[in-house]
Amino acid sequence: MLSEGDWLALGVSIQLALLTTVILMVLCTPLAWWLARRRLPGQALLEAMLALPLVLPPSVLGFYLLIGLGPNGPGGWLAEVFAQRSLAFTFTGLVIGSVLYSLPFVLQPLKNAFSAIDSQQLDMAAVAGARPRDRFFSLVLPQCREGYASAAILGFAHTLGEFGVVLMIGGSLSGETRVASVALYEHVEAGDYVSAHRLAAVLLGLSLLLLWGLFRWQRRRPNLGAMP
Amino acid sequence: MSLELSVQGQRGSFRLQVEATLQPRGVTVLFGPSGAGKSSLLRMVAGLDHCDGVISFADQTWLSAEMELAPWQRPIGMLFQQPTLFRHLTVQGNLDYVARRRQSPVGQQAQVIEQTGIGPLLARRVEGLSGGESQRVALARALLGAPQLLLLDEPLSALDEAHKRELLDLIALAARSVPVLYVTHNMDELLRLADQVWLMERGRIIAQGPASQELSRLDGSLAQRADATALLAGLVADYAREDHLQGITVGDATLWLPVEQQLVAGESVRLRIAARDVSLCLSAPDDSSILNILPARVVGLREVGPGQCLVQLALAGQCILARISGRSARQLSLFPGADVYAQIKAVALV
Repeated sequence: MLSEGDWLALGVSIQLALLTTVILMVLCTPLAWWLARRRLPGQALLEAMLALPLVLPPSVLGFYLLIGLGPNGPGGWLAEVFAQRSLAFTFTGLVIGSVLYSLPFVLQPLKNAFSAIDSQQLDMAAVAGARPRDRFFSLVLPQCREGYASAAILGFAHTLGEFGVVLMIGGSLSGETRVASVALYEHVEAGDYVSAHRLAAVLLGLSLLLLWGLFRWQRRRPNLGAMP
Repeated sequence: MSLELSVQGQRGSFRLQVEATLQPRGVTVLFGPSGAGKSSLLRMVAGLDHCDGVISFADQTWLSAEMELAPWQRPIGMLFQQPTLFRHLTVQGNLDYVARRRQSPVGQQAQVIEQTGIGPLLARRVEGLSGGESQRVALARALLGAPQLLLLDEPLSALDEAHKRELLDLIALAARSVPVLYVTHNMDELLRLADQVWLMERGRIIAQGPASQELSRLDGSLAQRADATALLAGLVADYAREDHLQGITVGDATLWLPVEQQLVAGESVRLRIAARDVSLCLSAPDDSSILNILPARVVGLREVGPGQCLVQLALAGQCILARISGRSARQLSLFPGADVYAQIKAVALV
């Protein structure tokens, strides 16, 4: 059905989405906890900055990343960490871009889930003999299962739908940085509407499947960490 | 094993400063109006809220200038106003959560389940439990791991009357083996449970002592209340079957009270006598319908409110209160040391 190149692009998309989701879950857990349970000066500004990818044209983010991650940009040092000259036009660069781009979609459900935890539950767990780390794994995590599921599915699906950022910093190298959405764009550019139709249908089906699964599951479980 | 407190804490403009020593046995009721700082003090004892000062328990220091034990390091069990069961676990899961972390002795769980009667609930999810069931499970959970001190923060406030009585009995039973610090602003709960009383007002403990003594102190805030009540310790004596009256001896006197069924002779019981249910006369009336008329001696008098007088009486070596009008006090020319007869219109077991 799909050409080998398109399968490759879809593979890159899924790989990118998976990796981004995993990184975001780890990164956003302490961040969301901090935002949900503490009140500190400057918090509103920080939250606004973290929510920017919700409203910003992806190309704006992509543009800054292109400048920032280039060899002469302020983020150039990051390239050395990954033993590369520049992170622009690399898979690592895409991951960094995706992490920033999808961050609010993971952060918000986690933050909502953490806010919903009754602090008396935590107090009681402390009296019951649980240390803070223990409390997180034995109480917070199981009570926030729904929030984590929402965060994972939204983070994954949103990264899958990424286009503007990738177009700016991806470079469309087959098997490395050409993701499905960009491959689709190139089919249209080349006038290959048959391939474009097939790829678009696959992306549409996959995204619908993910969101359908999420909403079905949310319906069965009433008290969910809400969507952003 | 006693708890010694010398703590200070600040919450906004509210300042809490407490010096107190908890008796190593029985129930100490921390009593006072809402906003007095009772719950705050309890949370400080638990280590849930930070405070300055010193807290020591038995030979263990919980808080000093150099160190502070976390709640999970203090040998305590606790109940909040709400049952606060872990909502992602079953009843059994809630018990296991504590048993595993507090190293509950072998066999203790079965005993606690038996004691609190929660056996049939073990497999249930906590969302489906009624208020009474939830609080019983919470009590069972608090008893696991053999706590050396139970901290109870108005545990009955969310329950209806029937469940209140049930839980009070369970708490009284638990208090036989572990000291309890019990926060409430409810007089009935104080009368039912208290061996000792700490009276708290505006962040300070203004009086502490045995419950019977604090209740009948003329200058105490408990005696000033409209529902002032004295507690008497007595022993179950004869039962008058034809009249359905149970005799209770208090010192060398016997009080009779109506009961539904005979009590076990020789058992020690507590009686409550409200000050407004006691009237006084100078000679023993022989034409009164009142069952319990006993000789007593006036210990002290105090005016409480307009035209009202509170009389403290020594009765068979213990103290009760009578709330009478100021005019009656004048007409009888009552004075400390005067011999009178106390007509007790109502007396109840607690």
